[in-house]
Amino acid sequence: MSATATKPVTRSAFKKWCDANTGLFFLIPWILGFLIFKAYPFASSLYYSFTDMNFFNGIHEYGIMNYVEIFTNRKTLTALSTTFKYAFITVPLKLVFALFIAYILNFKIKFVNLFRTVYYIPSILGGSVAIAVLWRAMFRDDGVINTLLSYIGVDGPNWLADRNWALFVICLLRVWQFGSAMVLFLAALKGVSVDLYEAATIDGASKVRQFFSITVPMITPVIFYNLVTQIAQAFQEFNGPYIITQGGPRNSTTLVALLVYNYAFQSNEMGMACALAWVMFVIVMILTIIAFASQKHWVYYAD
Amino acid sequence: MKKAIALALAGAMSVGLLVGCGGGSSSSAAASSEAASSEAASSAASAESTGGSLTMSWWGGDSRHAAYQEAVAAFTEETGIEVATSYGAWSGWEEAKSTALAAKQGEDVMQVNWNWLYQYSGQGQSFVDLNQYSDIIDLSQFPESALEACTVAGELQAIPVAMTGRTFFWNKNTFDQAGVALPTTYDELIAAGKAFQEKLGDDYYPLCLGPYDRMIVMTFWLESNYGKDWVTDNTCNYTVDEIVEGLNFIKSLEDNHVIPTMEAYYGAGFDSIDKSQQWIEGKYAGIWEWDSSANKYYDAMADNSGFTVGQEIKWGDKKNGGFAKVSMGLAITESCKDPESAAKLINFLLNSEKGASIMGTECGMVCSKAGQAAAEAAGKVKPLVKEANDIVMNFVDCAFDPNYESSKLKGSDGVYTDVFDGFSYGDYDAQEAAEILLEGVTDVLNAA
Repeated sequence: MSATATKPVTRSAFKKWCDANTGLFFLIPWILGFLIFKAYPFASSLYYSFTDMNFFNGIHEYGIMNYVEIFTNRKTLTALSTTFKYAFITVPLKLVFALFIAYILNFKIKFVNLFRTVYYIPSILGGSVAIAVLWRAMFRDDGVINTLLSYIGVDGPNWLADRNWALFVICLLRVWQFGSAMVLFLAALKGVSVDLYEAATIDGASKVRQFFSITVPMITPVIFYNLVTQIAQAFQEFNGPYIITQGGPRNSTTLVALLVYNYAFQSNEMGMACALAWVMFVIVMILTIIAFASQKHWVYYAD
Repeated sequence: MKKAIALALAGAMSVGLLVGCGGGSSSSAAASSEAASSEAASSAASAESTGGSLTMSWWGGDSRHAAYQEAVAAFTEETGIEVATSYGAWSGWEEAKSTALAAKQGEDVMQVNWNWLYQYSGQGQSFVDLNQYSDIIDLSQFPESALEACTVAGELQAIPVAMTGRTFFWNKNTFDQAGVALPTTYDELIAAGKAFQEKLGDDYYPLCLGPYDRMIVMTFWLESNYGKDWVTDNTCNYTVDEIVEGLNFIKSLEDNHVIPTMEAYYGAGFDSIDKSQQWIEGKYAGIWEWDSSANKYYDAMADNSGFTVGQEIKWGDKKNGGFAKVSMGLAITESCKDPESAAKLINFLLNSEKGASIMGTECGMVCSKAGQAAAEAAGKVKPLVKEANDIVMNFVDCAFDPNYESSKLKGSDGVYTDVFDGFSYGDYDAQEAAEILLEGVTDVLNAA
């Protein structure tokens, strides 16, 4: 008797709970995906980074030996320094280039939509294997670039084999993919009030002065966003060095992501690969924190 | 109502996600198991009615892909067993397959490199013992020594497809242009280098060697001059001083324009020599390659009328040197649910008249007596491959260590690349390079 009396109460409470948490049900597919494909690998990679896990030999040792190795081994230190070099070359170059093109495309010129499309295309193609292969063919010692240079009397360098130039070739591929940053800059430029420019023109400000005193400050939120995302992307660069140079010559293009791959899938040293991935993660996190901490000094939010 | 539909969809997505993550293994396990459960029985029955199914993978060039596909189709026609295939070029293949093996996701039948048996299945954890299927695979067709080479941890982990070794392949047309005969001695090789540079230009070389090729040529030179195998019982038989001599030999080839420097090699921007414009056009007039690769290089040339299988060069007087090895094998992975069908496929490809005659010498000169006879009868033994294989097998008199091709040594990030690139770029002198090489090799041998 008491059971039949309490049953409707329980059902009602459950229904209420369901009504209050309906959103949670909709989130379940994403939560499951996140837990299985993100959270679990994330946590387990931290665990494995403190082991000598090998795909085929298992785990025999626990400790911080991988981290010690990373900061004492010539190969890993070179990869870290090359990755910093790569990031500090590509990120500013790409941002400046994207802003420059966006600025031009913001003018009312003929066929502007065509130009916008054309400039965006590299971003769609840029990360692909085919483009990396094409890039390698272009920069061969007898490739298109050196052939063009020879027409103007310049004896081009051995791009892919000269350790001073090989990283530049990889950087250039990334800079060439400026389309996504350009689109964001273009949207930001369109958001800058015309009133500001009109007032500045009346006050006699030149176009250059207007650019640095109005345009740049007004779009700093987008510059900041692009900066953070581009830094994170630069530190994860893999396709370019893997396909174009395989990290050579003499490790001059071995970026950390490529070294992680080599450790994991060539040497099967998964423990070391995980540790290196975590070092990279911490570096990107620190740089992002620095960027966020610095924004109060240079990012202007109108609202 | 809308809310109910949305919730049902969300539920379906969740279930789909979970099924996608873990369903594969359970269903395939059921398909293969002979357990008495109704699910297993129905899967088995369904497999029987369709003849079952297998997966198979291999690497190689276009002609090998075509041969395998034709042979696999013939197998399906004969047995009713469907075979899903995956194949590709060598570049990146080992990384992909070793990861698959580690995850127990390898194809049922895999074409494997000989060193994989030691590197990825040293305890027999990745491949099944094929002795258990000797009633299906006719092992008597294979030389005892080749079967022994594929026996690791006391288990026959692969059936040897072919024996292979390295020899020279020349583009005689380019040598004719340079006005020199095909080299058969070190002195002739050096003379050819000078003639190429003087008569054809700096872009022309009689021979092209990548970092791993240099390691093999140096090993040949050392074995020939010192009369010792490179490795015996997991110990390298050479001292730093002896290796320095070998490295200086390689340097003499570079200095005399016999081979391009590593800087020139990388500057040309190719994946492998057969895909290089220099080889296609005849600017690289020689290679030092596995006999089973003859066709790949022959097919790649723009004008292959001058393609010639060269004689081995005897570098020293102590021994011939060199090594012959099992070029590749066919193995059944531990994750295979139907090893009997897989064994039938291997036997069909290597021993049966139909299979072997289709495969011919696409994987090198086959080990199987029955397979070789069938290929010969069908006229599928390519003369180039046979000629190269005969030269190699009659010459080689040193043993090949299975760890020689460990990915830690041979990989793009490996010790051989570091040593020979560093030596060519001038980062290491011969002494340093020899020390790094010996240390790297010793580390791998100690870990084996």
